[in-house]
Amino acid sequence: MPNWKKIQTSSFLESNARDRAIGLVDEGSFVEFVGPFDRFCSPHLVTLGEAVEFDDGIVTGVGKIGQRPVFVISQEGRFIGGSVGEVGGAKMVGTIDQAIEFYDSLIAELPDLPDAQRPLVAISFETGGVRLHEANAGLLAHAEVMDAIQRARHKVPIVTLIGSRIGCFGGMGFVAAATDAIIMSEFGRLGLTGPEVIEQEMGKDEFDSSNRALVYRTTGGRHKFLMGDCNFLVDDTVASFRAQLTELTLLPIADFEPLRRIGSEALVEKQLRGVALAVEIAPTDSRDVWRYAGNNDPIGLADGPIADFRKTVQRLVM
Amino acid sequence: MALQTIEFEIDGSGTPRRVTAPVHYGVVGSGDLEVLLSASDKAGKLQVKVVTPVKGFEDLWRRVLSHFAAETGLTDARIEINDNNASPAVVALRLRQALAELPA
Repeated sequence: MPNWKKIQTSSFLESNARDRAIGLVDEGSFVEFVGPFDRFCSPHLVTLGEAVEFDDGIVTGVGKIGQRPVFVISQEGRFIGGSVGEVGGAKMVGTIDQAIEFYDSLIAELPDLPDAQRPLVAISFETGGVRLHEANAGLLAHAEVMDAIQRARHKVPIVTLIGSRIGCFGGMGFVAAATDAIIMSEFGRLGLTGPEVIEQEMGKDEFDSSNRALVYRTTGGRHKFLMGDCNFLVDDTVASFRAQLTELTLLPIADFEPLRRIGSEALVEKQLRGVALAVEIAPTDSRDVWRYAGNNDPIGLADGPIADFRKTVQRLVM
Repeated sequence: MALQTIEFEIDGSGTPRRVTAPVHYGVVGSGDLEVLLSASDKAGKLQVKVVTPVKGFEDLWRRVLSHFAAETGLTDARIEINDNNASPAVVALRLRQALAELPA
């Protein structure tokens, strides 16, 4: 078992999926579901002659933060880009369903259970979305995870954490947007079509994926925080992500509603205002939007220390 | 095209070292691998199973693993490896790291 205290001070960006899962919950409390010793590899990869992993690139389990049971899903980007296939998707769904079932049985017995003792799900995304090798099984896995998130609505809060190397793209970008709250570091990236795919489809003039600064100011944590696509922007340590997650464990489920991006008529209207605004300001770069939101020096703001950014940034109001 | 499964046994040698608790180590990244160490009831033997997309390196796997067994004395154990094009040096390193996870 990795050293919990050492994980806390580690960079979230550099940490592997298992270390993140163990480090996000209280010391010694993590118990893994369908771990490597269960040897549950993807059957599709075997057929294709591709390398397999004993946990199929997704670590799932349960631990505690304070008195709250926290069900954890953590994706490993180093295994086939964190792609989600049939086995990994089933592990995600199974974990969310475990949390819901546990919630139902707890509340049936103890209707007045304090909020800080009710189950919560935390998902550490590091993925480009569907594992193309698994075709429809991979797509179906995404739909099933989305379904599970809807089943958890108004019962079990689902918190997204993004700060790993691959970011969160493709179908899993949709999945993350459907969760209740999103925590990112400035190194986290969130989007639908990844930078390289945009360049491949639309050309270098549209989006130059080799331009790291451009990629980060379009998909990175600072921009997502400014846009309201993520709720919290934290430092790049496991402890910082854990501290923000711990704060959220104290909230009742109703308090997660204002943090959401989708799921109500008001939010649909807000999205439509966003579309209208995009037409109005016709931005050619995220800096245009930063300026519109009231940040007069978007370049300085993007390059300065993250602590200063958090203090001075004007977030977009829609 | 199919995934290769290589299985063999190595005789234990030197001061015997046993697996007191199962260990998982590593990530199947590109050029990397993961290792499971577990106890086996086959006395005096180290059982090895390697799953890899690379063909034709069975002798090399045997040599790297035999060297590891001779150096560490690991015996009465089972080593399972999921490989994705790791070089022999990386294999040797990851095996060492997995063994270091064993409670002393």
